[in-house]
Amino acid sequence: MSKTAASLAFARFESGGRQEWLMRIGAEDAPAILLVPPLFEEMNRTRALLASVMRRLAAQGFGCWLPDLSGTGESERGLGEASWDDWRHDVTAASAYVTEKAGKPLIASVRGGVLLDDGAGARGWWRFAPADGLALQRDMVRAGLAGVEWAGYAPSDALKAGLAGATQAEVTPLRTLRLETDTQPADLKIDAPALWRRSEPGTSDALADALAADLAKWSRACAG
Amino acid sequence: MAAAPNDGIEIETTLRAVLVDVLGLDKARVAGFREETPLFGALPEFDSMAVAGLLTELEDRLGILIEDHEVDADMMETFGALLTFARTKALT
Repeated sequence: MSKTAASLAFARFESGGRQEWLMRIGAEDAPAILLVPPLFEEMNRTRALLASVMRRLAAQGFGCWLPDLSGTGESERGLGEASWDDWRHDVTAASAYVTEKAGKPLIASVRGGVLLDDGAGARGWWRFAPADGLALQRDMVRAGLAGVEWAGYAPSDALKAGLAGATQAEVTPLRTLRLETDTQPADLKIDAPALWRRSEPGTSDALADALAADLAKWSRACAG
Repeated sequence: MAAAPNDGIEIETTLRAVLVDVLGLDKARVAGFREETPLFGALPEFDSMAVAGLLTELEDRLGILIEDHEVDADMMETFGALLTFARTKALT
């Protein structure tokens, strides 16, 4: 940790006529990294991890931004009102807001967040443990086999349909990280627990260290 | 897809590793699980999202495909039941 505590701030950004929230850790005008969080329950389960990655990056002089997607977090809408296109638009609008303050961000997306990150302006992309929409939808349906439909979430049919058809889009430059247990190819494999799978995930200092170090390096490589 | 584990011991090792990873349980505790150790309904960590995670991780690591109709509380009730299910899927 740096000697000065990283500043935490909230900003409102406009997306499709709605006002949504961005959380920021680090200076507003510092080289920006925009995080796109996982979806549904995985978002909650990785919140502590993402915040601890953001704090580490802020201590190295980056400004880290994390949007609340429409219908989640502090958003004034209900999840049932949000569509898949709203979510994609939220990421694009958040990126435009950050660009105005600090120049084009590096976009760092995690799990299902990778399905939303390609319409936004960025100087580069970084993806951790990408999941495709069909696999995420299947997880939610399977949660229902244990008696709790969609693990208690009630998204609109339009959002469910958008999710089911979503795959990662090609973007460039892109760096992809996966867990050791994931058999698909990646630029770097990390030996760490799948915190988004756990009901009481907490965070992992080792994983946060590894992700922050890799992000800092890649962000500098994409300084253009 | 990973090379599918080809014997019963390897499947048991994989199942214990998945339980550690998905449920966030202590390795030593899971190493002590016996056939009759109760799982679903007995462990607070084993919630509905954990069921989804467990099935998906087993599919990925054992190279199997689990149909929704094969999933019920009985096949996850004990460590032994889950191990039998995994072995049957992976070895036949």
